[in-house]
Amino acid sequence: MKLTVLAGTFFRMQRRSLSQLLLASAIAPWPTYLAGQTQTSVSVNDLPPLEGELTLYLGRGEGGLYENVLQAITDRNPEFDLNVRRGPTAALANAIIAESKAGINRADLFWAVDTGAIGLIAAQGLALNLPTNLTNQLMPEFRYDNWLPISGRVRTIPFNRQRISGDQIPTDIMKLPDSNFQIGWAPEYASFQSFITAMRIMEGTAATKEWLTKLNHNSKNYAGELGVVMGVERGEVDLGFANHYYTLRLKSGKPEARVDLAFTKGDAGCLINASGILTMKEDETTINFMRYLLTKEVQSYLSTEAFEIPLVGGIASPEGLQPIENLSPPEIDLTQLADLRPTLDLMRELRIL
Amino acid sequence: MSILIIKDATSKVILLIFCSLVSFFALANGEIGDHVNDLQGHLNQYEEEVVWLLKEVTKLTNHYQNKGTEAAVTDVLIDNWESVDFHAAIETNYIQIYASIWQGIYGVKSSIDEGKEIAIVEQEQSNLERAMWQALGAVKLAAKYQQEGLLGGQPTTDYTALTSSETLEEIKSSLDRSVAKFAERLPEEATDIVLNAYLELFEGLEGDLITKDATLVEDLEKDFNVTLPQALNSSSTLSEVQTVVESMKGKLDRSKVLLSEIDSARRDVF
Repeated sequence: MKLTVLAGTFFRMQRRSLSQLLLASAIAPWPTYLAGQTQTSVSVNDLPPLEGELTLYLGRGEGGLYENVLQAITDRNPEFDLNVRRGPTAALANAIIAESKAGINRADLFWAVDTGAIGLIAAQGLALNLPTNLTNQLMPEFRYDNWLPISGRVRTIPFNRQRISGDQIPTDIMKLPDSNFQIGWAPEYASFQSFITAMRIMEGTAATKEWLTKLNHNSKNYAGELGVVMGVERGEVDLGFANHYYTLRLKSGKPEARVDLAFTKGDAGCLINASGILTMKEDETTINFMRYLLTKEVQSYLSTEAFEIPLVGGIASPEGLQPIENLSPPEIDLTQLADLRPTLDLMRELRIL
Repeated sequence: MSILIIKDATSKVILLIFCSLVSFFALANGEIGDHVNDLQGHLNQYEEEVVWLLKEVTKLTNHYQNKGTEAAVTDVLIDNWESVDFHAAIETNYIQIYASIWQGIYGVKSSIDEGKEIAIVEQEQSNLERAMWQALGAVKLAAKYQQEGLLGGQPTTDYTALTSSETLEEIKSSLDRSVAKFAERLPEEATDIVLNAYLELFEGLEGDLITKDATLVEDLEKDFNVTLPQALNSSSTLSEVQTVVESMKGKLDRSKVLLSEIDSARRDVF
């Protein structure tokens, strides 16, 4: 399947009606912007104080850095009470769906570390539409009607620069099995499964099956993607598949690490996935809370401390990663990555899982 | 089901030794009874249970000495241990000794089943008795803390944010629970506990940790994913598994220092 087709088919599938736009804009006391325009990053100093009480379901991850953000927001807003329920992202998504079916609405917001869980909630019709003056703060390719990407991570190919050079690595992920590289992967890792899901959506099940089958013969399994990057660095394999931040973190602690990053172009191999938040409660405090997460202060914090990619314009990418404008991610509706079951079935069929 | 959590920050270091259950988990042998939230009120019961259990062990070993292996039904050791409330009291408060009790039970059971000399059986019995009394002492101390309000009941930890230091303590508790399950002859459960601790707890920390000491993270990655699971699924002795776990705990303590340095140096969000 060609990307040009995908752009029309999957990307930005959900378009809100004019009436929805007006409704969503009406609840926010924030200057409205015309759809399509990009707002520059906002400072926390420009935001209204938060008042009231919200309950956030927070998927675990990022070593407490999201907790630091939440703490900073609550410290800054003494009239605001934030109840946080924490747990594995998928478990919280299932809890929200179960609660909804039982007629209970405990969660006002859901901050998930991966878009698959966002997609699960959205597919149930539980995620409310967001005002454009909020979503337009994001780069155009990350604007969705009913959820807000917060920070991104790009799929990369970490390689051992003593064993191979970057220009030996194909820029088409589908051509990688034709090379003779020894490859490290972490098939049980959620980000890897999302990557394969994107491949399946973009290239089709047959091509993905062939890709997995070929690679399965010369791949070494690791439990997690940090393990993959470290295996590459040690020279156990030539290259691997991993989110970008593992390599950046390794090089931050070990600058002499013999690992560099390669990127494919316009395919699942350089998918930019994101953490994201959605709301099930449409009110001023909820929307304004989400504005805090897009401030330049929070976006910059997640970039420098978590090595995540800011998704608001004008904020520098994490040190060691090329600017997002230089990457060539595929155009794909990230919420489609919730369609994980066929991926797992395929990987089990091939005995990769 | 209720579990115990630590409420007083200043007592955390001491009490974490006792309160291994910061997280929610189901016991292999059924639900924890409400009695664990009133340890003091059940101390007499626990002591009676320990006395009874040890008398039953003595009966069994005497029976073995007099009539041999065929006459000694050793499964009763496990049945008895699983029938008493003291089982949950020690499992929820001092998982390390809990593991020793299982080790003692299987020590007596195996020595009888294998027809060992009575002196060897009695040595195993002595080990079991020592673990039981040590466990009762630990529960009494936990009861004291509980009565002083240093331990409290809470239905779930879902709403509790753990600091990196607390997360590391929880990982260490998970490792202790894994050892206990190994001692209980449940290697798959033991391995699941280790892998869950890695995926749900350690993974959230290693990103920061690697920026400080990549080699340490590399070692722990191998420990979590290779060394310990292999030990749990081989013919290792409890002592060998404990050695692996103690080594990991040392590395986790080193991690705690590094993460504390990272937290101190962390910039403010706003």
